[in-house]
Amino acid sequence: MYDEIFAKEDPAKNNPRFWDELFLMKVNLEYLESKLESVDGEEVQRIQDNINSLFHHCVQALGEEHQIKVVNALQTLCALFRGVHQKNKSTSGFDIINMLMGFDKAEQRMKDLMERLDSLLCGDGSESLKSLCLKLLLCLVTVTDNISQNTILEYVMINSIFEAILQILSDVSSRGQHGYDAVVLLALLVNYRKYESVNPYIVKLSIVDDEPTLDGMGMVVHQALTEYNRQYKDKEEENQGGFFSTLTSMVGSMFIADADEKLSVQTNEAILLALYEAVHLNRNFITVLAQSHPEIDIATTPTTPTPTTPTTPLGTTPPSLDMMNNPELPLDPNLQTSNLLITFLKYASIVMQDTKDEHRLNSARLCLIILTCIAEDQYADAFLHDDNMNFRVNLHRMPMRHRKKAVDKNIPSRPLVCAVLDLMVEFIVTHMMKDFPMDLYLRCVQIIHKLLCYQKKCRIRLHYTWRELWSALINLLKFLLSNETTLLAKHNIFHLALLVVNLFNMFITYGDTFLPTSNSYDELYYEIVRNAPGLRQPLLYGSVILCLPVLRVSTNTGQWKEPASKVTHALVNVRAIINHFNPKIESYAAVNHISQLSEEQVLEVVRSNYDTLTLKLQDGLDQFERYSEQPKEAAFFKELVRSISLNVRKNVSLNTLSQDVLLKEFSTIS
Amino acid sequence: MADAEVSLSPALLPLHLSPTHSAAPPPPASSSPTTFSCPSSPSSASSSSSSSSSSSCSESSSDCPAHHHHHHHHHHHHHHHHPRPQLQLPPPSNSEQPSSPSASPRSSSPSGSIGSTGSLGSSASEGIGSSGTSCGGDPRGPSPPLDVISEDAMEMDLGGDQVIDPEVALKACQEVLLKVKLQNREVPEQQQLDNKQQRDAQPQHQHYTDLTECSSPQWHISPDTSSIKEEEEDEEEDAEKQGSTSQQCPRPSARPESSLVPSAASSSSSKQSWLLRLFESKLFDVSMAISYLYKSKEPGVQAYIGNRLFSFLDSEVDFYLPQLLNMYVHMDTEVGDAIRPYLIYRCRGSITFSLLTAWLLGAYSSDMHISTQRHSRGTKLRKLILSDELKPSAPSSNAPRAVSTSDSPVSSPSHRHCHRRHNSSNVESSFSSTVPGPDSPVLGEAEVFVSPSRRTHQRSKSDATTASSGPGSGLRRTGSNPKVEAVHEEPERLRPQREFVKSLLGIGKRLATLPTKEQKTQRLISELSLLNHKLPARVWLPTAENQHHVCRIPHTQAVVLNSKDKAPYIIYVEVLECENFETSAVPVRIPETRIRSARSAENLDCGSAVLAANANAMTSEHRAGSFSTVPNYDNDDEAWATDDIGQLQVEAEAQTSSSDNISQFSVDSITSLESKEPVFIAAGDIRRRLSENLAHTPTSFRRDPEDPSAVALKEPWEEKVRRIREGSPYGHLLSWRLLSVIVKCGDDLRQELLAYQVLRQLQSIWQQERVPLWIKPYKILVMSSDSGMIEPVLNAVSLHQVRKQSQLSLLDYFLQEHGSFTTEAFLTAQRNFVQSCAGYSLICYLLQVKDRHNGNILLDSEGHIIHIDFGFILSSSPRNLGFETSAFKLTSEFVDVMGGLDGDMFIYYKMLMLQGLIAARKHMEKVLQIVEIMQQGSHLPCFHGSSTIRGLKERFHMSLTEEQLQLLVEQLVDGSMRSITTKLYDSFQYVTNGIM
Repeated sequence: MYDEIFAKEDPAKNNPRFWDELFLMKVNLEYLESKLESVDGEEVQRIQDNINSLFHHCVQALGEEHQIKVVNALQTLCALFRGVHQKNKSTSGFDIINMLMGFDKAEQRMKDLMERLDSLLCGDGSESLKSLCLKLLLCLVTVTDNISQNTILEYVMINSIFEAILQILSDVSSRGQHGYDAVVLLALLVNYRKYESVNPYIVKLSIVDDEPTLDGMGMVVHQALTEYNRQYKDKEEENQGGFFSTLTSMVGSMFIADADEKLSVQTNEAILLALYEAVHLNRNFITVLAQSHPEIDIATTPTTPTPTTPTTPLGTTPPSLDMMNNPELPLDPNLQTSNLLITFLKYASIVMQDTKDEHRLNSARLCLIILTCIAEDQYADAFLHDDNMNFRVNLHRMPMRHRKKAVDKNIPSRPLVCAVLDLMVEFIVTHMMKDFPMDLYLRCVQIIHKLLCYQKKCRIRLHYTWRELWSALINLLKFLLSNETTLLAKHNIFHLALLVVNLFNMFITYGDTFLPTSNSYDELYYEIVRNAPGLRQPLLYGSVILCLPVLRVSTNTGQWKEPASKVTHALVNVRAIINHFNPKIESYAAVNHISQLSEEQVLEVVRSNYDTLTLKLQDGLDQFERYSEQPKEAAFFKELVRSISLNVRKNVSLNTLSQDVLLKEFSTIS
Repeated sequence: MADAEVSLSPALLPLHLSPTHSAAPPPPASSSPTTFSCPSSPSSASSSSSSSSSSSCSESSSDCPAHHHHHHHHHHHHHHHHPRPQLQLPPPSNSEQPSSPSASPRSSSPSGSIGSTGSLGSSASEGIGSSGTSCGGDPRGPSPPLDVISEDAMEMDLGGDQVIDPEVALKACQEVLLKVKLQNREVPEQQQLDNKQQRDAQPQHQHYTDLTECSSPQWHISPDTSSIKEEEEDEEEDAEKQGSTSQQCPRPSARPESSLVPSAASSSSSKQSWLLRLFESKLFDVSMAISYLYKSKEPGVQAYIGNRLFSFLDSEVDFYLPQLLNMYVHMDTEVGDAIRPYLIYRCRGSITFSLLTAWLLGAYSSDMHISTQRHSRGTKLRKLILSDELKPSAPSSNAPRAVSTSDSPVSSPSHRHCHRRHNSSNVESSFSSTVPGPDSPVLGEAEVFVSPSRRTHQRSKSDATTASSGPGSGLRRTGSNPKVEAVHEEPERLRPQREFVKSLLGIGKRLATLPTKEQKTQRLISELSLLNHKLPARVWLPTAENQHHVCRIPHTQAVVLNSKDKAPYIIYVEVLECENFETSAVPVRIPETRIRSARSAENLDCGSAVLAANANAMTSEHRAGSFSTVPNYDNDDEAWATDDIGQLQVEAEAQTSSSDNISQFSVDSITSLESKEPVFIAAGDIRRRLSENLAHTPTSFRRDPEDPSAVALKEPWEEKVRRIREGSPYGHLLSWRLLSVIVKCGDDLRQELLAYQVLRQLQSIWQQERVPLWIKPYKILVMSSDSGMIEPVLNAVSLHQVRKQSQLSLLDYFLQEHGSFTTEAFLTAQRNFVQSCAGYSLICYLLQVKDRHNGNILLDSEGHIIHIDFGFILSSSPRNLGFETSAFKLTSEFVDVMGGLDGDMFIYYKMLMLQGLIAARKHMEKVLQIVEIMQQGSHLPCFHGSSTIRGLKERFHMSLTEEQLQLLVEQLVDGSMRSITTKLYDSFQYVTNGIM
């Protein structure tokens, strides 16, 4: 019968019931697609009417009561979209629209289509049908590599299915089955021409304030990330278990990054993108991050999302009537309480371990961007620093030569911000390599900066082992300086250096507002002094020159003169400290005839010599540039969306839903 | 006399002071909210009814003096002047006041004599009772008017089929009382006045009618036939055809009680009149009522008191609710029947009361054997309440029924009258409409009372409908009107609160299974955050004073308290106060993040400025709802808001000017340093400031994972409130309040409740006697025999925590917290300490409070000590190890704070105790009564053994002279101080429980 469509004549001419019968037949997707592809330019003109007609009847069939017809129509539509696009990769979107629907009728056709899909998605119909609808939409959204060139989506913008997506997310059972597709679809739709035009999905997403819905979205992301974390953990254990892998623990991470792993990273990019859009666009979503859930073990309970949130929006109905439907959290004392943010941090710690692969690099970047958004948000900061919300967060750490993998390290329960800082420190320490991810480092340091600004502003004295951070930052500076020449070829290292130095300046001049103890201020000085240049004390190892190289570069003329001089100016306090204390320490050693000063002795010297040290107050230390996607990140997101589109297209398979299953289901229904 | 006056509500006090104006009733404006708070009352708020009721009050007050003198004939006049002799209950307290002038001079008996009148009462009721039990008409005493007798007898015959013994007895008893009064009444004139007063008083009486209609026709004494038949049949017909309708009434039912009240006139007669006079005097307060209810074995007296309960202020009766309910559960049927109508009436009126009653009933029933428990009265009533059938009438159900009822033969005559009445009187129409609608379940349960009232029900329902259809009915605008409530409240009016409580208790139970405090706290926080999703709702904290709705639980503030195997926890609860918990609209939910400025709009990039504008335009409708609730948001001095704006501006500049990658601000700061005068600071200063800042908060406790509550409890309440308010999306609302509550699971709080009552009683006694003893009774909410809630003591930490955290002696801690010896602050704190020590020493002695280790004694920020945990009182003590033999806890540390053994403050301490003991002794009965009633049927350990009450009584040392008492106090103090067992017990606790 397909052939009849591709004939010149109107197939219904001879057989008035042609369309009815067509949709009763099993769809042969491959044939239809290949047929469409094989049609060449001239023929297109000829059969356009028939294709238009087919499209029209597909849309009509969606309204049929007969479910088989609906299924077939959905699949046919899918094939149509794909086939037409594959055929006409180069042609403009308008031609495609013309070919499918005809210009004059396109608006009406698409309106009908979207309405039908909307009612299918929101109705009480079969779950498989809903799933198929989402697949069709995903298929439609990803037919082009660049989503913004998909002109048909213009109609999806006009005839929004946003509400349908939300409804799926707010309902527990439908969320369980279709949540993932719905979230990915939403993430993609939001990215349609986001920089050029008014995208209603952006607008709508930014103002959703229905908590069950947002929670539902959070749950979907949470589950996807948890699943990834679990898979990773399983693999890791697998690798560690083997005799072979213990020998090659150094390269263990490479085994982890096998093909399967990459694939799961890719699919997760879509989820990450969704998380990003939610965090970035909707400030109500921030609360969801801190929403506690018990840690979900997907392996054991794959189908039931644990907390069931009520579907009725609060305030409209007597809210407490469903008080007892309160999801009773499972009572397992061993089960750690978790939340989306914790899961996300764990996920990030895995992803950021290895950034060589482009997908992983993108994921890591996106993770850091999300963290940036979170760090800028007051509410998020508030719960990050909330002293009453303590959690143990097991971050994944890269196995490294000079340290043991801290698997069993008993992490104390601390405010969440400590985990964020840990993650940043971990990243800083582990990525000082030739292929220096400058961009990630910048984000990393900026996140720390934003958190510090919050602490300073709110006078929060976080009990964090700041020394780890200081030492990591100093090591970073050392690395920058020692690899100055190679790095300068690619990056403006002075920008990063300036940010790092300014972090120190914050500690030095504003430490009184947010450091937890007096001792910690002494330790800051110790950390600076012991890395200072020119010290001959053997104890004070690592006397890598901290200031002079920068000076050296900055005295040179050239393109780096200005940024280098900025760093030099910012270094004024660090240098003052070093210049002030070094002689004191040396003379102390000389007087007491000690060749190696203990840490306590150095601290003693520091403590007794504060009063003669004058520092320069630098302003603007606690100001930062707020994150903005446009214009700096636009290119990144464009590429990211493209890659996600490709991936989704590859993975959307209408055939996964086998006809038999459908038939079985429908036969029981009818 | 003085006692009684004090115990009256403050509003009444001034009135007694004016002897010329014989005990005017309290100003209606002030009294009406409490007196008439029953939701089924026709809206004290509505202008029409309130004005009429107030006028009636004032009139009645002026009429009063004359009133009792002319009561004699009032039954005759009823025929004509009693427009609506509905089933009447005893008059509210204000109409009762009239009797006080006559009563006060005569019955100036102090409370002591009242206690002794127990015998008097029983003997008095003897006569009454005997006459009552002999059923029906004849037993009326000395000289009943003949017509009344015959009338009654006839009624009995007519309605005999439904009459049930106790009921009859009650009625008869009351009639006897009435007869006595009638007999004694001398002055027969001024009936008009009398009648007028009656009529005026009606609006008040009406408030009580709904109760009687639903369940308690037996309360109504029928002095004359006309009124009876009026009530029974057609309320309006009285004026026209009393005589003819008399046949129709099956039973005598109602009579305005007010006629009974002022009758205590002459003192010529026997004990009966004594009792009667006592009952009717203003001295007769709730405490006495409860006492007689408990002691009297006469159904008549019990019934009378049951009736009288209606005339007390709700709040006064509420205090004795545990006693009432315990009697209801454990005592004989007569007492139960006497109390029941009142309970049902109050349950109808208030969700809060319903739930409190249901909880307590469950708790007190738990001591019964399981088989009897199931069928006990208490359990049945509890089920009835929880089935939520005791609710105010629902108008929606009225509408359809109206048709049928108005067609029914019974109502047809009244139909006409109803209309007439609606036309004539707004008040009446609105009143009649408040008659409870759902008759079947209630009546089914309370079959005893059913039959006579059934018809009235139906009729009143038809009345209701006509009223609501009528143009002038003031129903809808009234705040307290149940109908308005019923309109938007779903049938299950108790459910939200029950589930709220259930969730909280469920959390507690689940927490108990977790091993560490840390896990408990984490779980607590996450569970509460889920609970938060369902708020705001029509739920409230029962421990709070004011009406409110819970809007949010700042879940991160909740902490688990120290307990070995249970998991009590404290939560802070944000509430919004409201006019009326049951009727005011539940506040709209505000999302958590709404506290900040709208970021979603700001953060959209580039073209999104337009876009955001579009968003606003497109969805203004959508957003309007949520945003309109926080219009003042920007006006709040929220630090964030301004900061955000500042940052935004700078950000905007940055975007326009900077092209390179370097943060604009860093550049700015550097260049400014270059150009401007650099600012220098000394490193030493920074370091010093750091230590100073850190040293500046020494009063806050360190975080201790093993004792998470220490920090939370130490934080000054004001500061906590401010902090939480800042972080709350509801914080900007004027009605915002922060409350806190301790949720306990697995603990029996009934003893705590008993202790609370005793403490409250003693507190008020001491206040009354002007003894400056300080104690802090904290509210207890018993929800079952093993769960409940406790009102936390604010700004207080345990002595254990003080010691562990500060590592100081108590005196040094006082010096640290309040300043050196001579400062005002220290002296005040010291005085507070002494006064509270004296108070609690007495409490500990009288109640034999044991288990007094430092974890159970709190110290508040003003220096008061507060004892908590009354798990071991009276006859129970922990483990019988022989510890704690001393009368109370008085360590040398305490003495040190008081300034040593020779200090003035220590002498003051002993003097206070003496005064307190003398005062308490004076009112011993009031204290004893509380405990005694609760002993009934109880298996609580504090009642273990047979000598509990006797022991308690002995500790009041009624027989000692004041000099001897003084000696006793000396001995007690001496003994406690020297007692090493206190110290020993502390170390024992330290070894076993780690409490310092």
